[in-house]
Amino acid sequence: MGLLTDPSVGHSALTSIFVRHHNRFCLLMYAISVVLFCMLAHYSLSSQTYFSENALLPGLVKGQLNDNTGSSYRDHFRELNAEAQHYETETPHAYLISKFKNLRLETYSHNFTLNYPLKKNTKYTGRNVYGILRAPRSASIESIVLSVPYRAPSSVFPSTLPGLAVLFQIAQFFRQQIYWAKDIIFLVTEHEQLGMQAWLEAYHGTSCGSPGVLNSGKLSGRAGAIQAAINLEIHSDKIDHIDIKLSGLNGQLPNLDLVNLAHRLCNKESVRHTFNNVDGGAIGRSKLNSYYTNLSTMMSMVMTQATGVPDGNHGLFHRFGIEAITLEGYEKEGRGIYSSVFQVGRVIEGMFRSLNNLLERFHQSFFFYLLPSTDRYVSIGLYMPCLVLLVGSLFLKAFSTWIKHSSEHKSGGSSAKATIHEHSNVGMVSVIILGSHVVGLMLLPNLAPAYFTHFWNHIPTHRALLLGYGSVSITMVFFLPIIMKKCLNSFKSSNWVLLHVICLLELGIGLLCVSMHNFSLGYLTALVYVLPAVCTKSSHNNLIVKLLWLLVHPVCSLFWITAYITYTAYPELPIVDFLTKVLEASGQWMVLSTVDNMIYGNWAFSVGVLLLLPVWTSFWCLMFLPTNVSQKLKTK
Amino acid sequence: MNVKCIGFLFVFIGQAYSESYNEELFIKPLATGYVYSFFQFTIIREDDSFKHSTLFPHSLGDIIDRFHVSELDVDLTSGLWRHKSWGYPAVDAPSGAEISARFHNDTQDVDQHWYGLTNALSGLLCTSLNFINSANSYESSAHRVYRYSNLPRENVCTENLTPWKKLLPCDSTRGLSSFLNSGRVHNANYHSLGIHFRPLCNAGKCKYELRLTVSLVYDSVFISFNNNYDWSLRKMFGTGLFMTCPLADYSKIYLDTSSNISVPYSISQEPDYFLKKNIAVYNLNGIFHLSAIVSRPKIVVSELRPLLYTDRFITGFGQEYGGLVTRIYNDHRSPITATVIENIPWFLPIYYHTLKVTSNGIRVTPKGLIYKPGKGRVRIYYLEIVLELAPRSVTEISVQFDYVFLKWQEYPPDANHGFYIGSAIVKATIPRHATSLTFDKSLIVDNINSTGSDYLICLKTENFIITLPTPDFSMPYNVICLACTVVALAFGPIHNITTKRLKLTTAKYVPGLASIAQKLYVLLKNIIWNRNKNNKRKAAKVKVFAHEELSYHPRLGHVSEEFMKDKVDCIK
Repeated sequence: MGLLTDPSVGHSALTSIFVRHHNRFCLLMYAISVVLFCMLAHYSLSSQTYFSENALLPGLVKGQLNDNTGSSYRDHFRELNAEAQHYETETPHAYLISKFKNLRLETYSHNFTLNYPLKKNTKYTGRNVYGILRAPRSASIESIVLSVPYRAPSSVFPSTLPGLAVLFQIAQFFRQQIYWAKDIIFLVTEHEQLGMQAWLEAYHGTSCGSPGVLNSGKLSGRAGAIQAAINLEIHSDKIDHIDIKLSGLNGQLPNLDLVNLAHRLCNKESVRHTFNNVDGGAIGRSKLNSYYTNLSTMMSMVMTQATGVPDGNHGLFHRFGIEAITLEGYEKEGRGIYSSVFQVGRVIEGMFRSLNNLLERFHQSFFFYLLPSTDRYVSIGLYMPCLVLLVGSLFLKAFSTWIKHSSEHKSGGSSAKATIHEHSNVGMVSVIILGSHVVGLMLLPNLAPAYFTHFWNHIPTHRALLLGYGSVSITMVFFLPIIMKKCLNSFKSSNWVLLHVICLLELGIGLLCVSMHNFSLGYLTALVYVLPAVCTKSSHNNLIVKLLWLLVHPVCSLFWITAYITYTAYPELPIVDFLTKVLEASGQWMVLSTVDNMIYGNWAFSVGVLLLLPVWTSFWCLMFLPTNVSQKLKTK
Repeated sequence: MNVKCIGFLFVFIGQAYSESYNEELFIKPLATGYVYSFFQFTIIREDDSFKHSTLFPHSLGDIIDRFHVSELDVDLTSGLWRHKSWGYPAVDAPSGAEISARFHNDTQDVDQHWYGLTNALSGLLCTSLNFINSANSYESSAHRVYRYSNLPRENVCTENLTPWKKLLPCDSTRGLSSFLNSGRVHNANYHSLGIHFRPLCNAGKCKYELRLTVSLVYDSVFISFNNNYDWSLRKMFGTGLFMTCPLADYSKIYLDTSSNISVPYSISQEPDYFLKKNIAVYNLNGIFHLSAIVSRPKIVVSELRPLLYTDRFITGFGQEYGGLVTRIYNDHRSPITATVIENIPWFLPIYYHTLKVTSNGIRVTPKGLIYKPGKGRVRIYYLEIVLELAPRSVTEISVQFDYVFLKWQEYPPDANHGFYIGSAIVKATIPRHATSLTFDKSLIVDNINSTGSDYLICLKTENFIITLPTPDFSMPYNVICLACTVVALAFGPIHNITTKRLKLTTAKYVPGLASIAQKLYVLLKNIIWNRNKNNKRKAAKVKVFAHEELSYHPRLGHVSEEFMKDKVDCIK
């Protein structure tokens, strides 16, 4: 009882130091956090990856995949290529089905329909084809998936036909092996991630996005609980390197053991393997150079993860508790040493033999990590303190503001009068908090965008959304100060500590929650929002702080990010073209984000609208709330 | 004396002669490239007492006698019967171990006999049937004396085949059983060992039939090395036949040649005769070998669409909500009445109100429904639904369930592997020609010849595993648990010591019945005490100290001034 209610808490020497210098402490914590985060990429803080699950090791035996029995890879590829050329924009379903049947797999196809959420009566249909290799002597209770997204020749993305031919070759080889204990599903999806999402939803009989958007259809063949999945995107039969992709939906990552397995097997088959297109290892690099490479690799992983958008079809598996990665094989251009598809095939064979040997589902190794290199990792215990420091500075700010406020009241003579006055604005504070959250709720991606597109139905969707969200933001930015100044004169108060503390706490708790799921998103958001939040005072904020807040408005932040990306992509554009391009890109980003939310259940946009926007609005109100200047002068 | 002995001997011989034994093997090459072979070893005896026998396995007879078993089916299976590519089996058994028994009608303690039977059989067959208890078996809704259970996790291997072979009169040395080499049997895609005992009664006269069966399905990809559909006895079983079992009345091999139309093949041996046009029969009486050469088929047959097949899976992800869906496909022109029996373990509590039966997407009401709710660690959830399956329809039965937190000792050693859920049973009557082998008669030859319009088949659906909320059983987890316990234990006293102040106060006077009673008691006691000791003592003064009256003592904390004085005096 003494700990919680003792009035002497907050008056000890340590507390008073904190209260007096809290701004300096906050800035110090911010700086330490940034430095620590950059240090994570250093060899002393990251550790060497290792196999945690010993059951995965048998795949490291000699690979046996070869061209000796049945049709060769060349035959498969030639046949497939001829078939693909025949259909410029479509998938040759009939060919795929007959091919799988010829490989003596249990073959099924799966239809799905997308009701495009931002336009009424717009439907897209698709069809996936999959074949199941039934493991002898097993009761089809567990399975492993090997998937390839089918890309027609007209697709903007690089071709995956060599990957599909490798899949055929592997299926043919796997069919002749008797050692399988888990069923293997060979899956060819259509429409990139949409097909995969539909197949997964149908397999699990659920719907992840908004109801009625993706009609995932029904599957007639299943193979028990899927233990792991490997998505294959091989662009050529001369492979320069294999890039291993991990980032999943909402920043979920596969178990580190699976990632590790892929790298280890690539190493064994002497296939050049990379993470974020950067080679691992420090051979031939100076210390500084390798640190810089590690840091940039880690940063690019953080950036990819923060968007919450999967960087391959594997990313959709993670939600269902299935560990999955994408192996992307880039084409070797020019002359030089390249890896053949057989080397890559043997890597996959090794992975499947390892996965086949798993007794328990992946649970041993890390699920939360950052990778600065192919063979090093930073565990959650090391990167979480960076975020805790940032959030801690918010809590310290809130704590010291509150203590300062309460101690001022005790010492002040007219305490009774002041407390009555303070209590009167609790209602106002709750109105502001509630109002800002209601606005956020209304702007949720499955409510507002449909309304915006309906309202501006004559202009393209991305412009309508940009216009909608932009006008709402501009209205708030300009009208809130006027409302605060003009209408709330009767609610004058010496300061609005309560509102300030609530805003700080909400931001802190929200950031912690976000980073629990998606550390990168949480950390990057914290980096942007903690600084203005720490600089803000309960009253009498100066113009710089107001300007700072204006710069980090969620829509503005989006604008800055797109501007940066556009600049890196097209550095030579003239300023007017550049700005229009950025605006268009921001609108498109909004559309994509909204659609992602409604189809896949990506919550990056919701975080912006439900956490950042209300907090921002409350802070904005705080800065323009009328304050009682005279009272302070009088007491002086 | 001698006459009596001879008399007994005659009686025994007479009994021995009442047993008969036959060996049969039914081979069915399937158009999908698989070869199904079904062994049946049949022993028929006329006596219901198993005290003495010449052919009937004595060990099994003892068990049947002891536990009052009137009908028994045991199946030990590895692999899943794939109805879509293999059609119907002779005996449909789910993956793992399955046992069902009917006891004599006058049996009193059925459960006791049931556990006795399963324990005895687990010893006889080296299986884990002893894990059967009331929490994973059920009694039929119709018969008091019927029990059923399945163990989906059971791994069937050589240690089950060897004791099974010992039940045969010729062991595995002669006859068709010499085909059953454990290395070859366990290389099959599917193998199932069965023991089926039943009485066959006709007009009050009963015979007792014991069928020992083996189902094997070989994939021609694995048995023929050059990737074609060829098969032969040697390729499948590793050996041809050298000697028949002399104890058998006859040994026969039947070859179902119905797939010859879609995938033509030529057989090395001319059959002795044909049964029903397409079943070739070979009478065995010495060295025998059979092989088939299949010209590479131009069309790949990937499915043998059976009339009725099932599909069962769980829906949902994570450990929040789950659903269990059983689909029944009826490809027949006319409606079929089917009974679906779901036995769901107690750790998967189902929500009965979410039970939904749809036919082609339209909700239908079942014709009959029996539901016995389960009970944690005691009883399974039993659900029996009678349905009329519309012609060419897909009927879907779905029910929602919860994931249960188990006690930590209830997790198996490989807790993250998942928990097995056994198969559901679908019983339906379909036209006889659509089935494979039927079992109204004892011998295969009689069953092939038997006629009749409809036949009851019993389909077993697939098993599956679910992941219950599993604690992290790793070393850090244990350390965290231990550390938290220690901290929790330490917290109370430390909290008390650091936050509470020791304060010396005298007992407060609380008026009330209890205190009056206590006062009276003290008074009485004092009176008695005084009378005894003649020593008057004053009652302690009651004084409540105000805060200001207290002073501080370095060791005792806040004490009254009087006490302080006393203390100081004492010290002085």
